[in-house]
Amino acid sequence: MTTLEQLYQAVIDGKNKDARALAQRALDEGANPGDIVDKALVPAMAAVGERFKSNEIFVPEMLVAARAMKEAMGVLEPRLVAAGITPKYTALIGTVQGDLHDIGKNLVAVMWRGSNFRVIDLGSNVPATKFVSAINEHRPHLVGLSALLTTTMPAMVETVRAIRSAGCPPVKIMVGGAPISQQFADEVGADGFAPDAASAAEKARALVESA
Amino acid sequence: MTAEHIGLQTPDGRHELAVAGAEASLPLSEVLRLRGFPLNTRCGGRGLCGGCEIELRAGSLGRAADGARVAAGAARLRSCQMRLRGEDVEIALPAGSLLRHDPAVVAEFRINIPWARDPLVPGVRYGAAVDVGTTTVALLLCDLGTGAVVGDASSFNAQIRFGEDVITRIQRCSADPEALGQLQRAVAAETITPLLREACGQCGVAPGDVGAMAVAGNTTMLHLLAGVDPTPMGVHPFRPAFLGHRTYSPRDVGLAFGGSAAQVHLLPGPAAYVGADLAAGMVATGMIYDEGPALLIDVGTNGEIIAKVGDRLVGCATAAGPAFEGSGLTSGTRAVRGAIERIRLRTGPFAAELGLIGAADRPLGICGSAYVDFLWEARRLGILQANGRFDGAFCSRAGDAIEAGTYGRRLRLNASASTGAIWISELDIARLLQAKAAIAAGTSTLLHLLGKAPADFRRIYLAGGFGFHLSLEHAIGCGLLAGFGAGQVQVVGNTSLGGAYLVLNDRSLLGEMAGACRAMEAVELNLQPGFEDAYIDNLVLP
Repeated sequence: MTTLEQLYQAVIDGKNKDARALAQRALDEGANPGDIVDKALVPAMAAVGERFKSNEIFVPEMLVAARAMKEAMGVLEPRLVAAGITPKYTALIGTVQGDLHDIGKNLVAVMWRGSNFRVIDLGSNVPATKFVSAINEHRPHLVGLSALLTTTMPAMVETVRAIRSAGCPPVKIMVGGAPISQQFADEVGADGFAPDAASAAEKARALVESA
Repeated sequence: MTAEHIGLQTPDGRHELAVAGAEASLPLSEVLRLRGFPLNTRCGGRGLCGGCEIELRAGSLGRAADGARVAAGAARLRSCQMRLRGEDVEIALPAGSLLRHDPAVVAEFRINIPWARDPLVPGVRYGAAVDVGTTTVALLLCDLGTGAVVGDASSFNAQIRFGEDVITRIQRCSADPEALGQLQRAVAAETITPLLREACGQCGVAPGDVGAMAVAGNTTMLHLLAGVDPTPMGVHPFRPAFLGHRTYSPRDVGLAFGGSAAQVHLLPGPAAYVGADLAAGMVATGMIYDEGPALLIDVGTNGEIIAKVGDRLVGCATAAGPAFEGSGLTSGTRAVRGAIERIRLRTGPFAAELGLIGAADRPLGICGSAYVDFLWEARRLGILQANGRFDGAFCSRAGDAIEAGTYGRRLRLNASASTGAIWISELDIARLLQAKAAIAAGTSTLLHLLGKAPADFRRIYLAGGFGFHLSLEHAIGCGLLAGFGAGQVQVVGNTSLGGAYLVLNDRSLLGEMAGACRAMEAVELNLQPGFEDAYIDNLVLP
């Protein structure tokens, strides 16, 4: 197996230390950092997403694979920046105000990175005003709002309203999290919803490519 | 040396004691114990609790630390810190200071401290201890004259129809002004009242003769029972309306028992997501009197972990989900009669030996302790891979015990399907791994924060609905208690109910419970940088 094939497999198997070492080895062997992303990491996360959707893997394996992907990206990112390679699309993501949960949000962020998005993560407990100012600053194609607690869904409504108001550049909005449904997404006027991190990557591509 | 005379007044009457020689130089609590009046020295005579307090009516005593003279007065004195000083004394012993019960296993919990017979509501014949869980409510009926448990009952919390977790129930209160009243009726009139009636029926006690109730539970459950809006607890910074001890008349909270003097006491809690159920556990395990370092791990839908290191008490909550309570799994069940509580596996050919709770013709399902057995045994025998998947080679040899389904493969544990097959699926294992990871990552993050290693802990108290039959070797081996040794861990059962039972029988504990609540620092795991990594690390089997 080539180093890139091994890296692909290490990400799918969730071997984070191997993934990091293999990404480094690929660089040492002279591979282009952009190629490592396109030929190993992006297909690996696509495969993980497919397997998740067909119930071949469950949440634990998905989280383990996403971390391996993140570790490999950590090695590649400085080189990508140095080479001036930036993904075509930019996305902002954050957990809405009042909610401190971010494991699900972080998983979506990795899946988006694995679909060639530059992802700016605003963290958890993010007020609507902070989303708006970050949109003004980064001009993303997409913004993702996450909520795990049923009780913080009103904060999501408020955040969508703030992003849609005057003074905020137009942007596609995606919502997600355990209590969120397509119906809720429609009610609040979001552009997209995904029931899990695997479909969130696909949905994100569809939204920005249709824009 | 002449003999000193102690005039001792106890709730039972007056006693005259003559003390002489070496005995007179011992701590006063020790002198009294040797004379047949053992005191409630739950901190081990280290001056940390009020269990050995006396009233000095006449004469004087010497303070053990510096020999200073302490004259008779109104203030109560901790007798473990006092010595006789060659003078006759008159001493009164309050009911709360007389040891009546040694540490013991009571019903479904273990109590590690001695306790007195000084009931929560004086003059009352019967009292009830209640643990209000999000899923399950348990009640004990006590004869407060003897401390004996005379009835017990448990059932699901009728609030479940409004949502399975506390957050859903909080959300209903914020969305619908009628919901708070409905939730209060569900737990009071529809859950606790029938349980009390059932327990009373077991021993022929009239509910009208029950005069006291001590209630432990998580902070949300106590808000809903009290009819207090829990809405602010639904969003960060998660502020409860109250945490302190509260007293109500049964009628005020929709309960029906006792006369006009009957009281319902809600126990104090430390924080929004580390509640009175854990405060009760800190007292029942004796942890607050421990020299430590000690850990209390309560495995429930919401797992809570409290560490005592030196004088510090630090607690956190971790969302484990209900898998170890048997909920949401293919053949899962609560730890009730007929449930499989123990599993031993063999390969070549594959066979499972199942141990049931009580006598039953056929297994009802699998409860938490048996799932822990399975994770360990199946991994050890190579049936399961580290990622929680069935091993391919095992599957090809297992014949019709393995079946492929929509949600991965599943393994049948009982030989004959005619009595109802018992299955464990790969999706079940994924859910168990998530529950295990939440507890293990919560524990390791808390330890990291305190700069401690597992081996530094003198005692780990493992509480929760597993039952007493949990194999510690397997809990450690499957990674639930990773890094600890079986010799460090004590299984303590439902200590929330245990703490409520204690306070019901010995009200002096209430103040010390409240003190521990004020002292505890709550840590938000989601804000700890290492938590997510630790969680993912623990999503595999060792």
